[in-house]
Amino acid sequence: MQVYDSSVKQLPIINPLKGVWEKRSLLKLLVARDLTVRYKRSVIGIWWSLLNPLFTTAVMFYVFNTVFKAKLPDGQAFLPYLLSGVLTITLFNQGLTMAADSIASGAGVLTKVYVRPEIFAFSATISSAINFLFGLIPLTVVLLIFGKHPGWKTPLLLVFMLCMLLFSTGLGLMLAIAYVNFDDSRSLINIFLLALQYMTPIFYPISAIGPHTQKVINLNPLTSYVTVFRDVFGDNSHATGTQWIVMISTSIVFFFLGFYVFGRTWPKVVAKL
Amino acid sequence: MSRELIVEGTDIALAYRRTRHRVSSLKQTAIDTINRRMSYENFYALNGVSFEVARGETLSVIGRNGAGKSTLLKVLARVLPPTSGRVIVRGSVAPMIELGAGFNPELTGAENILLYGTLLGRDRKTMQSRIEAIAGWAELTEHLDIPIRAYSSGMVARLAFATATDVTPDLLLIDEVLSVGDEDFQARSKARTAEMMNSGCAVVLVTHDLNTVQSMATRAIYLDHGTMKASGYPQDVIDAYHADLR
Repeated sequence: MQVYDSSVKQLPIINPLKGVWEKRSLLKLLVARDLTVRYKRSVIGIWWSLLNPLFTTAVMFYVFNTVFKAKLPDGQAFLPYLLSGVLTITLFNQGLTMAADSIASGAGVLTKVYVRPEIFAFSATISSAINFLFGLIPLTVVLLIFGKHPGWKTPLLLVFMLCMLLFSTGLGLMLAIAYVNFDDSRSLINIFLLALQYMTPIFYPISAIGPHTQKVINLNPLTSYVTVFRDVFGDNSHATGTQWIVMISTSIVFFFLGFYVFGRTWPKVVAKL
Repeated sequence: MSRELIVEGTDIALAYRRTRHRVSSLKQTAIDTINRRMSYENFYALNGVSFEVARGETLSVIGRNGAGKSTLLKVLARVLPPTSGRVIVRGSVAPMIELGAGFNPELTGAENILLYGTLLGRDRKTMQSRIEAIAGWAELTEHLDIPIRAYSSGMVARLAFATATDVTPDLLLIDEVLSVGDEDFQARSKARTAEMMNSGCAVVLVTHDLNTVQSMATRAIYLDHGTMKASGYPQDVIDAYHADLR
């Protein structure tokens, strides 16, 4: 028989993680729910969810290839560069905002039933990652058209995806607190995300930018993420060792920070709701 | 026969810091911070609340709005850890609150039963085997495979109620006795709630309906601004509550 004793000390981070693990069957159901809703029920299913990144890419391709004439270093093709950038930022944005949203909109249940809200964040970032995997299909096609192929580093894609999962889950948890606490935080956060997006080399090569701005762009951890992704899938950029380290360390730091902050703050939020 | 205690609450307190005028926007918070108008107070949602509930007993919690009744349910549901004091709950807990809040309109009835039941803390495999029975009780068997956005609100409520009440927990938390659906279903759902309450679990019932307290509760506590003003036999507690209201 399960016994709940409130005087048993709860360890930060460890207990929430254990709580998620114990309810992993719920996590599976939540991911299945997200995917069913997204794919099975809509008429053109998977293609519909790919339409957004593909269309974004098409628009940006026209603007930056024809209007601004982006110049990539030799040996790099622009269209796969652009599409991989869009897929990365979609993976990040979608995972992050869906994680925060699912906790905020699930608050009705989460304040009354004992379920670790972190499960909701995980389910959002996991389904975002699965969505991303579907996006690799058109990316592969584009790579092949440009005489490239995913390359031998493809298994390292798992490292990239795991890092992104941890990074966006941790950030999503912190975002969820803001969403629930402040009604107007969404619009502010959207502006911030837009700024972050422009500070990430999605549609421009880093080399096209002045040295001063380059420093700023390199401070953005997403720059490392996107470069690593382009390197391991399609060999269309070169990721430095520093960028690998930035990616891995930010994912771990923000994941644990998110769990810690959320665990500390959530009870206070629940008390007020 | 000795009582088998399911819930033991000892000197439960729940305090949090809140702003004096409730702000829920970032803009207002920023303005108030700049103008140094942010003032906090330590707010006690619960203070010094003690009680026990044994198997087969029904504890009723009464009090005005904002007295801390719902907060107490959150503490018992282990969503909210008490700031001080101690709560022990032995066995499974089922809340009969926010019916259907975990439903997704795009999923079918069967998928929602599975998800909602698992969300309420039940085993996924057990839920899988209970789908038919739950749908049968809700009289929705032939609608099980269509997304519930096509359901009427009454149908959704029936499905939620049937799922929530499918198992008898060790501790049942009720925030107002729910009656959903048409007249026939209301009678059935009331009967089922009563049946659950009498099936030997411990019940904590929050309600404004003092008749329910009189007829169903074995003990009662009266909360006022988070503190326990009275506790004991339902009639005595109701009398104390009435005396204060006057």
